[in-house]
Amino acid sequence: MGPADPVVVIEGLTKRYGEFTALDDLSISLNRGQILGFIGPNGAGKTTTIKILVGQLRPTSGTARIAGADCVRDAAKIKWLVGYMPDTFGGYENMRVREYLDFFGAAYKIARPQRQSRIDEVMEIAGATYMRDRYLESLSHGMKQRVAIARTLLHDPEVLILDEPANGLDPQARIEMRAILLRLAEAGKTLIVTSHILPELSRICDTVAIMSHGRLRAFGTLKEIMQTVSQQRSIEVQLVSANRIAAAAELIQQQLSAHEEVTRSPAEATIRFRTAQSEEQLAQILALLIAAGIPVVQFRELQSDLEDTFLSITREPDEPPLADEEESRTAGPRSDAPVGNAAEVG
Amino acid sequence: MSNPVLEREFIGILRTRRAFAMQVGAAMTFAILILLRWPSDGQVDLSGIQAQQMFQLFGYGLTAVIVLFVPAFPATTLVRERRQGTLALLLNSPLEPYRIYWGKLAGVLGFVSLPVLMSLPAAMACYAMGGLSLQHDLLALYSVMAIACLQYAALGLWVGSLARTADSSLRITYGLVFFMTIVVLGPYQFFQGKPWEWLVTASLWLRSVSPLPALMEIFGHRDAGSGGLMSPTGNLMRYAITAGIITAGFALHTLLRLTPKIFDRARSPGVITEDRSKAQQWFRRFVFLVDPQRRSGLIGPWTNPVMVKEFRSRRFGRSSWMLRLIALCAVTSLGLTYTSTAGTMDWGVETIGGMMVVLQVTLIILLIPGLAAGLISSERETGSWTLLQMTPLSTSQILRGKLLSVTWTVSLILLATLPGYLVMVAIEPALTRQIYYVLACLLLMAVFAVVFSAAVGSFFRQAAPATVTAYASLVALCGGTMLVWLGRDSTFDHSTVESLLAFNPMAAALAIMEVPGFARYQLFPQAWWFISAAIAVSLVTLASQTWRLSRPR
Repeated sequence: MGPADPVVVIEGLTKRYGEFTALDDLSISLNRGQILGFIGPNGAGKTTTIKILVGQLRPTSGTARIAGADCVRDAAKIKWLVGYMPDTFGGYENMRVREYLDFFGAAYKIARPQRQSRIDEVMEIAGATYMRDRYLESLSHGMKQRVAIARTLLHDPEVLILDEPANGLDPQARIEMRAILLRLAEAGKTLIVTSHILPELSRICDTVAIMSHGRLRAFGTLKEIMQTVSQQRSIEVQLVSANRIAAAAELIQQQLSAHEEVTRSPAEATIRFRTAQSEEQLAQILALLIAAGIPVVQFRELQSDLEDTFLSITREPDEPPLADEEESRTAGPRSDAPVGNAAEVG
Repeated sequence: MSNPVLEREFIGILRTRRAFAMQVGAAMTFAILILLRWPSDGQVDLSGIQAQQMFQLFGYGLTAVIVLFVPAFPATTLVRERRQGTLALLLNSPLEPYRIYWGKLAGVLGFVSLPVLMSLPAAMACYAMGGLSLQHDLLALYSVMAIACLQYAALGLWVGSLARTADSSLRITYGLVFFMTIVVLGPYQFFQGKPWEWLVTASLWLRSVSPLPALMEIFGHRDAGSGGLMSPTGNLMRYAITAGIITAGFALHTLLRLTPKIFDRARSPGVITEDRSKAQQWFRRFVFLVDPQRRSGLIGPWTNPVMVKEFRSRRFGRSSWMLRLIALCAVTSLGLTYTSTAGTMDWGVETIGGMMVVLQVTLIILLIPGLAAGLISSERETGSWTLLQMTPLSTSQILRGKLLSVTWTVSLILLATLPGYLVMVAIEPALTRQIYYVLACLLLMAVFAVVFSAAVGSFFRQAAPATVTAYASLVALCGGTMLVWLGRDSTFDHSTVESLLAFNPMAAALAIMEVPGFARYQLFPQAWWFISAAIAVSLVTLASQTWRLSRPR
C-alpha cells in the first residue's frame, strides 16, 4: 500500500436488521492524515458504520477496508490498525491511570522495556501526565477523555475512530481536545470523529460525511459541501410590519420553483426562503416586492455554517416547521443523492 | 398510595418478570410440601409429631427464602438510584428524606410479604394436621419472619447508602447477613457454662441478633453444640429487642445519609509512597509489608494481563488485603480447632471436621459468586468489554486470565483454612484418608462454584443480578438439599434424601467425615460424578457464551 493510497475504503456498505435498514449502500474513502467528521442525527447509521469498521458488526453486504485489511476477514489485523475510543470510558475501579494504561499496553503486547516509555509518550500527547498516579474514579469527565485518548494511542494505530470525544466537555477542555486531535492528524494519523457539536467539527475536520436514515447525504470537504448547499442559499426578507406578510410570501412563492420553500414569521415581520436562483432573479423578486408596494427594510442572504448545512441536508420533507414559524410551504421530494463528492476526497 | 416512592418501588417490582417467577416459585414450593405430607392413607397421626416435623421443615424453608431473597432488593435500590442520578432528583423534590426512606422500605417489605403470605395456606395445613399451637408456633414463627424481613431490609438500605456499586452493595449485604445470622452464634457456643458471667450474658445477647435461636426455640430444637447444657429461653423476646435496636440504628443512619452530602464522595488520589521521604517509605514498608500506596510494577512478560487487571481492579485484590484475608482465615481455622479441642465440650473429631466443612463451604458460597459472577457481566456493564475485544487478546486468554484471578484468590484463602485439618490428623491419624476425600469434595465444590458463577454471570448485562442469581443458585444447591435432609425419616424417606444429597458436595464431605446425621448416607462417589459433570457443563456454557459475546454481531 503506497502512502498516497486511501487508508479507509468503504464500498457499498449495507447493514439490515430484518426489514429495517440501518446502513444503506455507504461508499466513502479517506486518505492518510485526514480528519473525517461523521455527523448525523440519532439513528443515522454512524455507530453502525463505526462498529463495522472496528469489527464488532458484520455488514449485510459491501466491504470496508482499513490500510488494506478487510474489517470482517482480517479482524485480528484491524485491532492493530485501529484505535477505537467508544462513547463510554470503560474504566476499572481501584486502578490508577498508569496501571490502566499498563494493562492495555500489555494487552497490546508492548514489551515491558518499551511500555513505560510508550505510556509516558501517550500521556504526554494527551496531556494526561499529571494524572498518572490518580485513581480512575477520581477523574473528571474531561480527564477521562484524555486518558481514553492515551489508551487509544498506545499501540500506535494508523486510524483513530473517536465516538463523541468532545461530548460533555467544558469549553476549555474542548479547545484542548481539538488541539490534541489536530496534533494527531499532523502526525499522520487518519481520524474518524463523530460529534453532535457541529461547530466543533467544523473547526477540525477537513472532510465531512453527513448521514441521515442510514444513507450518506453529503460527503466532501467542508468547503465543497457548503458550496453545493449554498446553491440553495437562504434569503431573509425583513418587512416594516407584518400587515402584508401573506401577500409578500405569496408573491415570492410565485417566483420560486415548486420545491423551494417559503417560511414566514409574522412576529418578526420576516420571510425566509431557500432558493437556487441567480443574483439577477433575486433582484427581480426584490423589484416585484417594491413594485407591489410592500415596504421592505432588508433583503439579504443568510450566511450558512455547518449547522445550517446539516439541517438543510438532513431535514425531512414531512418535518414540522421550526418552532417560531407559523407557516411553511414545502414542495417536491428531497433528492436522495448525496451532496458533494460521493466518492474519494483527497 | 400517597407516597410516590412507595408506589414506584412496590408496583414497579410487582410488574417485573422476576417478581412473577418468585411468587409462582413460592406458591409451587409450599404446594409441593403440603402434597408430600398431607395424610392420604386414611390414617391420621394423633400425636402431632408428623405436623411438628412438617412445621419445622416449613419454617426452616421459609427462613431460607427470606435470608436469601430479602436483602437483594433493598441492597441495590439506593445505590442504583444514586448512580443513575435519580436519587439527586428525589432529594431535590419536596419529598422529605424520611418519606423517601419509608417509600423504599415499605416497597421492599410489601413485596417480600407476598411470598410470606403465600406460605399461609401451607402453614394452615400444618395447623390443621393437629399438634401445633396457633399462638406459640404459627404466630411466633411469623413474628420472627416479620422482624427478620424488617432487619434485613433496613440492613440492605443502609449498605446501599454507603456502597459505590450495586454489585459491591450486594456482596457486603450478604456478608453482613451471614455474619448477623451465623457468625454471631459462635461466641456463645464457646462461653456458655464458663464462670465469666458478663461475657456469657454479652454473648447471649450477641447471638440474639440472629433469628436462629428464636426459631430453634419455637421448633423445640436444642441449641446445636450446647454440649448438654440447658438452652436459654426467652430467645424470641431477646431477638425482637436486639433486632429492633439494630433496625432503628440502620434506619437512623441511612436517614442521616439521605442528604445531598451522599454524593460528596470524591476519592482521595492518595500520596504515592515513592513521593514521600525515605523514612516514611521505610516505615510504610515495615507496617504494611506490601505497601498499597506503592507505585506498582509493570505487568510481566509471562503474565496474563487480564489476571493482573482483575486483581488490581478488585477492592480486596491487592496484595496488602490478600495477606490480611489469608492471615484471618488461617487464624480462624487454627483458633476454631484449638478452642474446640481444648475446651470443656467433647465434640469429637467428626463434629469439629463437620464444622470446618460447613465453614469452608460457607466461605466458598459467600466469596466465589461475588468474585466470579461479575467477571463478564461487570465488563459489559461498564462498556470495557468492547475495549477488551479491541485488543489482540484472544477470548481464551481473556477467560483464562479472569478465571485464574478468582482461582488464585480462592485457593490461597482455602489453603489458609487447612491447618485445622492438620491438627485433626494429629489427633486422629486414622482420619487421613477421609480428610483427603473431604478436601477433594471441597476442591470440586470450589471449582464448581467458580465456573458456575462465571457461566451464570456471562448471561447478564449487569453485575448485580448476576451475583444474586449465582448466590441464589449455589445456596439452593447446598441449602435446599439440606432442607430435605432436615425432613429425613419423617417427610422424606432414606433413599429420597440420599439421592438428593448426592447433588450436594458439602453433604458428601460431611458423610465422608461421618458427621452425626450424615454417616449413614452413601454419597461417595456419586457426588463426585455429579459435581464433575456440572463443572464440565458450566465450563462449556461459559466458553460458548464468552465466544458468542466476542463475535461480531
